[in-house]
Amino acid sequence: MKSLFRGSFAAALLAAAVPGVAGAQTATVKIGQIEAQTGPNAIYGYMSSQGVPIAVDEINKAGGFKVGDTTYKLELMALDTRGDPKEATIQLKKLLEQDKVKFVFGPFLSNVFVTVFPYAKQFNGKFLMMGGGTRIHEFVGQPGNEFVIRTWNWDAGPKGFGEKMVDYLVKTANPKKVAMLFQNDSGGKILGDIYEPIFKARGIETMTEYFEPGTKDFSPVLAKIAGFKPDYLFPGYSDAALYDIVRQSVEGNYSKKFFLVRGSTGPGLKNKDGLEDYIVYVPKDFEEAEKKEPKVKHFIDAYKAFYKRDFPYDQAPLCSSSCYDHVYMLVEAMKKAGTVDDVEKIRKTLLSMTYQGMWKISFDERSEQIFNFDIVHLRKGGTKEVVHVEP
Amino acid sequence: MTQVVVGQILNGIILGSLYGIIALGVTMTFGITGIVNFALGQFMMIGAYATWYFTDLAMFPFPVAVALAVVISAVAGLVADQALFRFTRNNLVNGLLVSIGLISVTESVALLLFTTTPKNMDTVIAGSWTLGAITLPRMKVVAFLMLAAVIGLTWLGLSRAWLGRATRAYAQNPEAAMLMGVPTKLLQTGVVVYSCAIAGFGGALYACLFSLEPTLGGLFILKGVESAILAGVGNLLGALAGGVILGVTESVGSLYLPSAFRDAYGLVFLVAILLFRPAGLFGGQK
Repeated sequence: MKSLFRGSFAAALLAAAVPGVAGAQTATVKIGQIEAQTGPNAIYGYMSSQGVPIAVDEINKAGGFKVGDTTYKLELMALDTRGDPKEATIQLKKLLEQDKVKFVFGPFLSNVFVTVFPYAKQFNGKFLMMGGGTRIHEFVGQPGNEFVIRTWNWDAGPKGFGEKMVDYLVKTANPKKVAMLFQNDSGGKILGDIYEPIFKARGIETMTEYFEPGTKDFSPVLAKIAGFKPDYLFPGYSDAALYDIVRQSVEGNYSKKFFLVRGSTGPGLKNKDGLEDYIVYVPKDFEEAEKKEPKVKHFIDAYKAFYKRDFPYDQAPLCSSSCYDHVYMLVEAMKKAGTVDDVEKIRKTLLSMTYQGMWKISFDERSEQIFNFDIVHLRKGGTKEVVHVEP
Repeated sequence: MTQVVVGQILNGIILGSLYGIIALGVTMTFGITGIVNFALGQFMMIGAYATWYFTDLAMFPFPVAVALAVVISAVAGLVADQALFRFTRNNLVNGLLVSIGLISVTESVALLLFTTTPKNMDTVIAGSWTLGAITLPRMKVVAFLMLAAVIGLTWLGLSRAWLGRATRAYAQNPEAAMLMGVPTKLLQTGVVVYSCAIAGFGGALYACLFSLEPTLGGLFILKGVESAILAGVGNLLGALAGGVILGVTESVGSLYLPSAFRDAYGLVFLVAILLFRPAGLFGGQK
């Protein structure tokens, strides 16, 4: 009895002597991520899965974040879907049922989202899913789908980046005919559905062709498109296809003017001597932003230090979806809401916030992200003009 | 329109020669080791990335880069054979499983080393030849000539040289070849390494034409196997012809039919041929 008393007394003394031991507690908030880190469509999920660990590492190394009396650290559970919807469903099931994760980043791929959606919907109100997939637009903001937040600008509508891109095209080039060439999948089909009316509304005639995923030789479809005599070729939707499309179109003399809303400046710069015009939507031109924006420079330095490799400037713009900024934004929302468990309260706080990170991020009434972006206009020889757009 | 069709026939022939070189590797490996090496596409990927690395980053002259790429692919093939494939000789299922495992490993390594960002090699031979409405990039034509030359030389070697005749003899009757003093183990390893080397050569030329991604091998091995089956497995010159037929079918098919189903046109043609000639276009009737 005497020794027990002595032990308790010693513990009380220690608690009084060492600040933090007595009152504060440390706990963990789990963040899940389902993105294609590998596989043929990994180009979209790759950068998101690269940026989130950096933010988690920075927050944890800074001692975590405080909500109430508790200091929280983040635990990231990033799973590689390989772009396979079935794999993603199993992984989401693990995250939600086994690991009890309340915040899931991703997916960026529309086909993955559409497949996991019916399962995920059963957990509405119990978790938040923050993904960039184009087809998330159809589901976000609907009653019963409150768990879905889309972390990407929508193409159409008054604040749509696609409308602003087409306006820029009309203003600078005034084309009469545009040929669209997209991948034959969920993401490609929806691009056709979005942009045909946008062009039509501006009196521009369109032709739409689809190519098979994995296509490398685009000569036949480019030859078919050349028969339409378009002023601009509008190909999509990832660099994996765009490098080949732009190169083969220029080399084969099919079309030398390009308009893009998905993809990077890379294919244009690679073929700068052969093309005439290359207008591309870029969430951020990192090469220019690095020189002017301290937060961008910090991210680039952090990336190089964390992964010990060069910074992928061409892919980095994809960090605008479910990535580095969003981890900080989520943490801010938890701090403001005063809870890490009340998903609804955190959701409302998150959607009412404007976060100034690498991007200025806010959400519209449909829970869809609005952020500033750049239009990069390359001309023959590689002359580059960057236009900043604030939707 | 006629000129557009002619242009696409030529384009199909050029693309088909790339399928053909993989088909050649598939048909040779199957004939000698009894396995369908689905990992051959990975050696093509290794050759492609090696060429890009030595040309664009190490700044070696293109012919040196190609030679190094072929050597690296051959050495990788030798390592794979000695570490894995020699234990699966004449066992189709085990060989298939090992090659599928190897695809997964090499793809992951490539992803780790090169990421998903497509690598686009600087132009080796710039410009195009234009005749009327037909425009053919010069590099494509040169690549076709080089691939056709390698396939032709392989055929010559197999039909004229002693080692080539020994290889064919072993493929026809292993026991009789052994009794006649053919060094079978060496021959099997040699064929696997040669197949990997020519796949690497195909990869080197692929790098001059298309962007590189870690998954590029998967697409081309399927086309290579399709071409080999179309020609009739075992027929070396037929492998080139099978590839060319497949390439032309896809290119011309995409002109008149939706390009979204391009791969299907080659497969439909393959099925149609196999219905009437189960041993392939140039295979013997059994």
